Amino acid sequence: MSSKDDITHRLALLQGVKLSAADLEAITTEIQDLERIVAELEEFAGDTPWVSLQVQPIDKL
Amino acid sequence: MINDFLEADLTDLSWLISTRELSSAEVVTAALERLKRLEPKLNAFITVLEKQALAQAKTADDEIARGQHRGPLHGVPLTIKDMFATRGVRTTGASKILLDWVPNFDAHIVERLNAAGAIIIGKTNLDEFGHGGTSTLSHFGPVHNPWNLECIAGGSSGGSAAAVAARIGPLSYGTETGSSVRRPASYCGIVGFKPSFGIISRYGSFRGAWSQDHVGVFARSVKDIALGLDATAGYDPRDPSSVQQSSSAYSSCLDAHVKDLRVAVPRRFLDGTNPAVKEAFETALKVLAEAGCVIEDFDLPELCYAAMTSLMTSSAESAGINRGWFRERHQDFVPHVARGLAVGMAITASEYLTVQRARHRIREALRETYEKIDLIVSPTTARVAPPISEGVKGNGDDTRHASYNHSNLLRFPSMLGLPGCSVPCGMSPEGMPIGMQLIGDWFADQTVLNAALAYQGSTDWHTRKPSVDQ
Repeated sequence: MSSKDDITHRLALLQGVKLSAADLEAITTEIQDLERIVAELEEFAGDTPWVSLQVQPIDKL
Repeated sequence: MINDFLEADLTDLSWLISTRELSSAEVVTAALERLKRLEPKLNAFITVLEKQALAQAKTADDEIARGQHRGPLHGVPLTIKDMFATRGVRTTGASKILLDWVPNFDAHIVERLNAAGAIIIGKTNLDEFGHGGTSTLSHFGPVHNPWNLECIAGGSSGGSAAAVAARIGPLSYGTETGSSVRRPASYCGIVGFKPSFGIISRYGSFRGAWSQDHVGVFARSVKDIALGLDATAGYDPRDPSSVQQSSSAYSSCLDAHVKDLRVAVPRRFLDGTNPAVKEAFETALKVLAEAGCVIEDFDLPELCYAAMTSLMTSSAESAGINRGWFRERHQDFVPHVARGLAVGMAITASEYLTVQRARHRIREALRETYEKIDLIVSPTTARVAPPISEGVKGNGDDTRHASYNHSNLLRFPSMLGLPGCSVPCGMSPEGMPIGMQLIGDWFADQTVLNAALAYQGSTDWHTRKPSVDQ
């Protein structure tokens, strides 16, 4: 998928909300940054196991 | 002018009311008058509960006269962030969307405060639904810092921090998803404490990001923080993240003897810190060392990814929470908040899960670290409160790059659910407060409070007050 297609795909996730041209430009820039961040975090996460219930606290002892 | 008793901390004020040296009605009236006098300068409140507060104060006085004293909060005026539902009182989240929403139920902390006989006099201003770090992203306009009205109070619980700093009640409750208790506490020169995830129920407060949201407490002294925690901590089945815990007695377990406490300094993350902030922090470290703490430097490269991971997590979760409103009323959000939600909506499920793996890696690295140390300490923020005119960029955060930047230190405690406390530790040459944060192991809330108490016992930064009256 080209970068342009990918942005289009992501903007479709906004489910039809109409944005101003300025907002659209700002959001597009942030989305491009987002893809870089996810790529870096994916590399960082490496072989870390997939965890379940990771958002729940450990019971207080 | 300020009534002397508004200078009193919660502990002293409570004693004066319980012994009927002062009536709750007198104290509440004075606090309300002060609120109204300063509000044009601070814009710290969204709703003032004058009539209700005065009626409750009279009830408190009657009960105390009959010997029915409920405890340290009885009859004491305090404030809460407008994130918490209040039965019969509008609850806005600083939004246009909920401008006229009047809940028919109370949030957990409101229930607990009512049961303790506390008098809620006002609901404080914030970044819309807690989405921000400045308290400028409010439908009701920005909160102004009592130390310099041209500067931000920090966010998102800025109204709560400004109120306590300005002596409008000795205690306030806020929420923290990224740094929304510790940062405003630091900027406003007061104490801010965020307990371990699950200690205070979040039932009835708006969700910013469910896996990072906490309820926190603001006060001028650590002892008052502990009293505020005692009143609200405890298991609540209505919050799925609430943890089983014995009845809270943090205030009675306070102990300033911290000899041999192992205190670690993440030195590499402090390179970009403002020189005045760094100097104040180094002096604070000496105070902790003199109190018996063993200070050592440490490095944890995994922390370089904390701010990015926290940002991605909160972006995705807040979009999930707000998607209905975003679809139907996106134009009613504060524009910067709406843009953030739009970006969050564009994060896919697989990306969110990838981010959670990164989060797990950071958590495991911290878990190993806390086997060797008791506390991580650092400046709470890398700089003092910036001017309002600098907007959301004024905080100088960098949450988009993996690096040794200070934003990681602000973000990891909430992302991982660790207890953290910010205490005043100095003043900048411009006269703005500087804070130091102490971050403990999971559920080592008492250790954090004890170390903060030990620090306050040797310093007087927490007694400084802004000249907002002039």
